[in-house]
Amino acid sequence: MQALLVFLAIAALSLLASSRTLLDPSRFPGVAQLAASGLIFLIFGALLGPGLIGVLSAEDLQGLRPVVSLGLGTAGVILGLNLEPRVLRLLPRPVFSAALAHAGVAFLFVAVPMAGALLLTTRLPLGVVVGGAALLGAAASLSSGHFAVLGYRSGRMERARGLAVALLTMLDDWVGLLVLALALVLGSAASVADGGGLVALALLLGMLCGALIAFLTYALKDLSELTAVMLGGVALVGGAASYLRVSALLAGVACGATLALVGGRAVEQVARALGRFERPTYLMLVFLAGCYVQARDVDAWVLLPGYVALRFLGKVWGGSLARRFAATALELPPRLGYALIAQGGLAVCLVVQYLMLVPGPLSQHVFDVVALGAVVNEVLANRAFRHVLEPPPPVVKEGAA
Amino acid sequence: MSGAIIRLGLLVAVLAGISGVQEWRVDTGNSVMLAAGALLLCGLFAGKVAKGFGLPRLTGYILVGVVVGPYALGFIPGEGVKGLELVKGLAVSLIALVAGTELNLGLIRRVGMKVAMLCVAVCGVTFVVCFAAVFALKPVLPFLTPMTVPQALAVSALVSTVVVSFSPTVTIAIVQETSARGSFTEFLMALVIIGDLFVMVAFALAAGVTRASFGGGFDVQGLLSGVGWELFGSVGVGALLALILLVYMRRVNRELPLFLVGLCFAAAEGGSRLHLSPLLVALSAGALIANLDERNSQRIHHAIQLAGLPVFALFFAAAGAGLKLSTLVTVGPAALLLVVLRAVAIHQSCRRFAPAEDPRLKRYLWMGLISQAGVTFGLAALISRTFPDFGPQVEVLIVAMITTHELVGPVLTRRALERSGEARGDERPQTA
Repeated sequence: MQALLVFLAIAALSLLASSRTLLDPSRFPGVAQLAASGLIFLIFGALLGPGLIGVLSAEDLQGLRPVVSLGLGTAGVILGLNLEPRVLRLLPRPVFSAALAHAGVAFLFVAVPMAGALLLTTRLPLGVVVGGAALLGAAASLSSGHFAVLGYRSGRMERARGLAVALLTMLDDWVGLLVLALALVLGSAASVADGGGLVALALLLGMLCGALIAFLTYALKDLSELTAVMLGGVALVGGAASYLRVSALLAGVACGATLALVGGRAVEQVARALGRFERPTYLMLVFLAGCYVQARDVDAWVLLPGYVALRFLGKVWGGSLARRFAATALELPPRLGYALIAQGGLAVCLVVQYLMLVPGPLSQHVFDVVALGAVVNEVLANRAFRHVLEPPPPVVKEGAA
Repeated sequence: MSGAIIRLGLLVAVLAGISGVQEWRVDTGNSVMLAAGALLLCGLFAGKVAKGFGLPRLTGYILVGVVVGPYALGFIPGEGVKGLELVKGLAVSLIALVAGTELNLGLIRRVGMKVAMLCVAVCGVTFVVCFAAVFALKPVLPFLTPMTVPQALAVSALVSTVVVSFSPTVTIAIVQETSARGSFTEFLMALVIIGDLFVMVAFALAAGVTRASFGGGFDVQGLLSGVGWELFGSVGVGALLALILLVYMRRVNRELPLFLVGLCFAAAEGGSRLHLSPLLVALSAGALIANLDERNSQRIHHAIQLAGLPVFALFFAAAGAGLKLSTLVTVGPAALLLVVLRAVAIHQSCRRFAPAEDPRLKRYLWMGLISQAGVTFGLAALISRTFPDFGPQVEVLIVAMITTHELVGPVLTRRALERSGEARGDERPQTA
C-alpha cells in the first residue's frame, strides 16, 4: 500500500508542481523556484515522512529503498554521461583550476569549522567526525548552474557567460563524488581496505553495466525500445549496487562514463531516451530523500545557519578566485560567487547515499543539514543571482568630478 | 537474430557475475530493483530471439524468466521476484484497459449473444470433463484421498472452475503483438473476457458449496453480496476511473502515458484492497471510454502501446520467473492429464458449438482458449488462503497446469490468429 501512497502523492505533487500559477515567478518567486528545481518535493517528503506527520513510516521507507537506488543510479548515469573525454581534453587548464578554486574554497570554509562544531556537539571519535565534516564540505562545494542556464535562455545574461558558469558548476560535481568515494572507503566497511574494495566493486559494476548497455543499445533505432532498454539498464545498475550494498550513485557514474566513452554516436540518443524518465525518477528520489529528514534533529538546526553562511562566504570568495584563474579562458560574470549559490539535487544524492550505506547518528546529522541547506540555498540563490545580472557599481576614483 | 542471442547471452553472463559476487558478499541488500532491471532487459531481448524463431515475443519473455529465475539458474533472487507483484497488477490493468477499449456497443450487439452461448457451452463441457477427471483421481490425489464423497465432489467442482478459466491477459497481449484485427479476433477476445466473468461467478458459488461441505454453513446472502460486490463494484469503480480519465484528457491532457500508468497502478492496488477484480475494473473503464468518446479511446490505445513495452516484458518475464518447475515433478502426471483433457474438451466443444457461419471459429478458436495466467494464479492463491487444510496442495496442482499452459498457450494463440488470416505481422518494436 505504501508504494501506492507514494505514487499517488508524487502524481498529485507533479500536477501541483507543473501548475502555471505556482510556477509564475511574479506571484510566488520562492515557491516557483523550489518547484522548478524539484526541491519542493523534498519539503513535501519531509512533511509526510516519519520525522513529522508520519504518513510514511520507517518500515515503508525501508520497503521503498529500491526506488531510491533507481533514482541514485539514474542520477549517476546522467552525471557520467556528461563526462565527455573529448570535450574535457579540449578545455584549457585554467578552467579546471577555476572549478577547483570555487569548489575547494567552499569545501574548506565549511569542512574545517564544521569539524570543530561536530566534535563539540557529537563527541564522536576524531576520524569519524572528520569524515562527516568532509562530506558536509563536499556537499557545500557543489553548485548548480540552472540559474545561469535559465538566465541566458531568457536573454537576461550573455550566452557565453551563462555557459561558462554552467561549465564550472558541472566540473565541481567531481569534487563531491570524489569526497563521497573517500568517505565510503573510510566508513562503509570494517576496514579501509574493505571499504576501498567496495568502492572499487561499485565502479567495476558500473563499468561492466555501462559496456553492456552500450552493446545492448548499439543499432537500436526506435526511441521507445531504446527508452525501455535504458530504463532496464539503469534499474540493473542501481538494483545490482543496492543488492550488493555498494554505492548506486558511484556505480551509475561509472556506468554513464563508460557509456560515454564506448557508446560512440549512440550516446546522444541514449541521453534522449534517458531524458524521458529522468525527471519523474529525480522527483521520486528527492521526495523519498525528504522522507529521511529528521525535522526534530535539533543539532542539525543548530548547525544549519553556520553551514549556509560559511558556504555562502566560501562561494563568494571562491568565485572571485575562480574568476581570476579563468580570466584568460572563460568569460565569467563579475560577481561569479553569487551565481554559484544554488546547490541543486546532487548534494542531496551524495548525502542520501552516505546515509544508506553508513547509517548512524552522524550521517543523519550530515544528511539533515545538507538536505535543509539545499532548500535554503535555493531560496537564497534566487536573490543572489540578481546581483550577477545587475552591473557592478562604478568605481569612483578620487578627484573625479 | 544472432545479435539478439549474443546480447541475451551477455546479459545472462553479467547476471551470473552479479550472482557470483553476491555469494562472496555476505551483507546483501534489497533485490527488487535488480530483478526488475534484469527481467526487463532479458525479456526485451528474449522477445526478439523468440520472434526470430517464429514464436510469440511473449513466449520469449516467459521462458527467459523461467531460466534466470529463482527456480532454475537462480540468478534472480526469489524475494526480488516477489517484490514485483505491483508490476504484475499494473500490467493486468493496462492490458484490461486496452481490451476494454475494444468492447464497443456495436461489437457486443453483433457477437454478444453468440459469444455468451458458446462460452456457456465451452465452459460447461470443460467443467464437466475436468470435474469428472478430478473426482476420478480421488484415490491418487493426496488432498482428496481423506475426504468424504460430498467433500470430494465439492472440492472437485472448486478445482474444476479454476481449471476452466482462460487468460485474457495473454490473449490480448498476443493480439497486440500480431496487430490482429477482424471478426475472429473480436470473437476470441470477447469469449475469453466473458469466460472469465463466468468463472468468477462459478468460483464464488463453488467456494460457498465447499465451505458448506466442510461444516462452515451455506451463507447464501454472504455469497450473493460477495459476488455482487466483486462484479458490480468493479464495474462501478471502473466507471469512476473512466470519468476521471476523460476529465483528465479533456482538461489537463499532458503526459498521458504516465497518467495512465498511475491510474492503472491505482486500479490494481486499490481494486485488490477493496476485494474487487482489477481486471474487471480496468476492463469496464476501457469499455465505457470506448463507448463515450471514441477519439480518446484511440489515444489511450496508442499511449498504452508507448508505455506498454517495458511493462509487458517485465510482467511476463516475472510471471515466468515465478513458475515453480519443481511442481511439475511432484504433481506432474495428474496435471498433465488435466491439461490434455481440458484441451480436448475445449477443442471438441468449439468444433461442435461454434457458430457455423464462420468456419474459422470451428477450426482455430480452441487454440486461443488454451492459455492460462493471471486470473488462474489469483484463484489458485485464493483457494490456498481460504482452505488452508487442502488449499496449498490444490494450488500446487493448478500452478503445474499454468506452467504448461503458459509455455504452450501463447504459441497456440498466435497460431490461431495467423491461421484465421487476421494477424498482420510483428513489425513494430513497441508491441508486446
